[in-house]
Amino acid sequence: MINQLAALGRGTINVLEALGRSVIFLVMGLRLPLQNGLGLLLRQIHFVGVLSLPIVIVSGVFIGMVLALQGYVVLVDFSAEEALGQMVALSLLRELAPVVTALLFAGRAGSALTAEIGLMKATEQLTSMEMIGVDPLKRVIAPRLWAGFISLPVLTVFFSVVGIFGGYLVGVDWLGVYSGSFWSTMQNSVLFTDDILNGMVKSVVFAVVVTWIAVFQGYDLEPTSEGISRATTRTVVYGSLAVLGMDFILTALMFGEF
Amino acid sequence: MNDSNLVEVEDLYFSRSGRQIFSGVDLVVPKGKITAIMGPSGTGKTTLLKLIGGQLAPDRGRVHIANKDVHRLSRSELFRMRRRMGMLFQSGALFSDLSVFENVAFPIRVHTNLPETMIRDLALIKLQAVGLRGARALMPSELSGGMTRRVALARALSLDPDLIMYDEPFVGQDPISMGVLVKLIRQLNQAFNMTAIVVSHDIKETLSIADYVYVISDGRVMAKGSPEELGKASDPRVSQFVHGEPDGPVPFHYPTDVDFADDILRGSGLKERTS
Amino acid sequence: MKRSRWLECGVGVFVLAGFLGLVFLGLQVSGLSFSRGGDTYTLNANFSNIGGLKERSKVTMAGVTVGRVTSIELDPKWFDARVTMSVTDELKDKLSQDTTASILTSGLLGEQYIGLTPGGSPDMLKDGDTIKDTQQALVLEELIQQLVSNFSKE
Repeated sequence: MINQLAALGRGTINVLEALGRSVIFLVMGLRLPLQNGLGLLLRQIHFVGVLSLPIVIVSGVFIGMVLALQGYVVLVDFSAEEALGQMVALSLLRELAPVVTALLFAGRAGSALTAEIGLMKATEQLTSMEMIGVDPLKRVIAPRLWAGFISLPVLTVFFSVVGIFGGYLVGVDWLGVYSGSFWSTMQNSVLFTDDILNGMVKSVVFAVVVTWIAVFQGYDLEPTSEGISRATTRTVVYGSLAVLGMDFILTALMFGEF
Repeated sequence: MNDSNLVEVEDLYFSRSGRQIFSGVDLVVPKGKITAIMGPSGTGKTTLLKLIGGQLAPDRGRVHIANKDVHRLSRSELFRMRRRMGMLFQSGALFSDLSVFENVAFPIRVHTNLPETMIRDLALIKLQAVGLRGARALMPSELSGGMTRRVALARALSLDPDLIMYDEPFVGQDPISMGVLVKLIRQLNQAFNMTAIVVSHDIKETLSIADYVYVISDGRVMAKGSPEELGKASDPRVSQFVHGEPDGPVPFHYPTDVDFADDILRGSGLKERTS
Repeated sequence: MKRSRWLECGVGVFVLAGFLGLVFLGLQVSGLSFSRGGDTYTLNANFSNIGGLKERSKVTMAGVTVGRVTSIELDPKWFDARVTMSVTDELKDKLSQDTTASILTSGLLGEQYIGLTPGGSPDMLKDGDTIKDTQQALVLEELIQQLVSNFSKE
């Protein structure tokens, strides 16, 4: 009984400690180095953002196409297939683009960040950088954090755009919805501030959460090959769960009627 | 604090995950000399270097470098001080995304505003000194273990530090490059009056270059003196270590309560019961 | 560490294309337009029930979109809805004062919008004027209720 109580206490303390470490880590890791900071940032945006483009674009097109196909089947029963554009655009902008892009990002870029930083830690590269007199938080961590914060919202925009075109392709070119009403129902129902900006706010929040988890897991892991593989798994699991949980909270705040 | 000492370690206590690693270590590193820290593996020699470099904080005690308490410095002061220190890691710890040349040029680039041609010249001088000028375009993944160590040495030297710390420099080197390294460490010390700390358990090589030797065991300084004094030491534990004898007061076996014969018999007893 | 040019270009294209994508979403998907104000003028209309009319709903004339609803608020004096709309300048001083504004539904269940029908009065509506002759939204439930009560009377 006492032992179980102690185990519970120990677990709580460990979790709180890790949370505290990760908050300090985030605050310390936001300062880019003065020297060549932009160059390092560009390099990381390339790795994290540009190289994630193919998977995001391909997924976006397919999700848009599937949405149009499924939506058409339901809407055609009410002779409301003109509303297809509205349905595709709203689903993408409000939910699917921010959430699916963030999940893909956690899998593609997040795990790569964790593994890369973990490997640098395991091979003492971070330690040797410290001994050279360079702060790895500035040189290694900060560019990666900022690159994640910037890349994910941009990727989300790509996802929405190609998703809408995917929907257009299926809805208009294949199923024969009138192109004019596809766009006009969309334009009448989508509000720039409510839908597009809220979607972007979501994706910025997801970017911070996923990148933070990924980089912290890499920096805080046990420096062995087993530790790296466990931390990489944790990044994807925690990152995805955090995205879905945050999505519910944000949706309730943005679109819920409180 | 004596001005002729670059590093002074006083009454150092350190424990990690419940295990006491140091309990009261005192040692000094005189300026311009090579000081060796030796001891069986697992005595925390690398940990000691990390404590001196300010990467770990001790439970008790002080580390002074050039009259400054390492663990009382602010983060930026600590990083400024480390520019005057070089460290050669056991694994080399080269930056895997940079070429050999860029690895050696890295400290120069981040700490100076020298023009590109000067950086190139400086880096090539260091690479020439370790005999790897021809390998400058290679990536760290293409190097052998010994070459990695030599590139790491060139990088540690690139800013001409006052103090250089070698963590197991001789492990995994072939006889030729081992000889080169020994010569290099001695030459650096003599030519540039560079203070060095060598952590090693390679007795012959270490004793051949060190001016003063500390032997650490069980979290304390077990013996200290010049290599000649240690060679004639009367303490059986020291002579066992220095002469590399397998049998002696330092146990080869990890401690256990159960007698070997009992352990074996217990195992066979279990088997009989299960069958 | 040298930045190679293609890497810089790649990141530049990435960020720029992302920005253009956002502009596309704004213009094409949500129908934002940069050229607002200046070439529109304001009209008001009070409705006793606006049904599902929203801000940014269309204002049409003979089926052609001529403007948008800019704000909807409750008029505390008459307890009805005061709808403000901006209408294209082409119609300025060309709509007579007895123009009718009615809330229409596109299709049976579609979105609601305002339809303007011109009248015959010689006096014209000016910027900021209120349309007097309005027709409230068709609320389906009320319609069905009337129908049912009519049947039950017979």
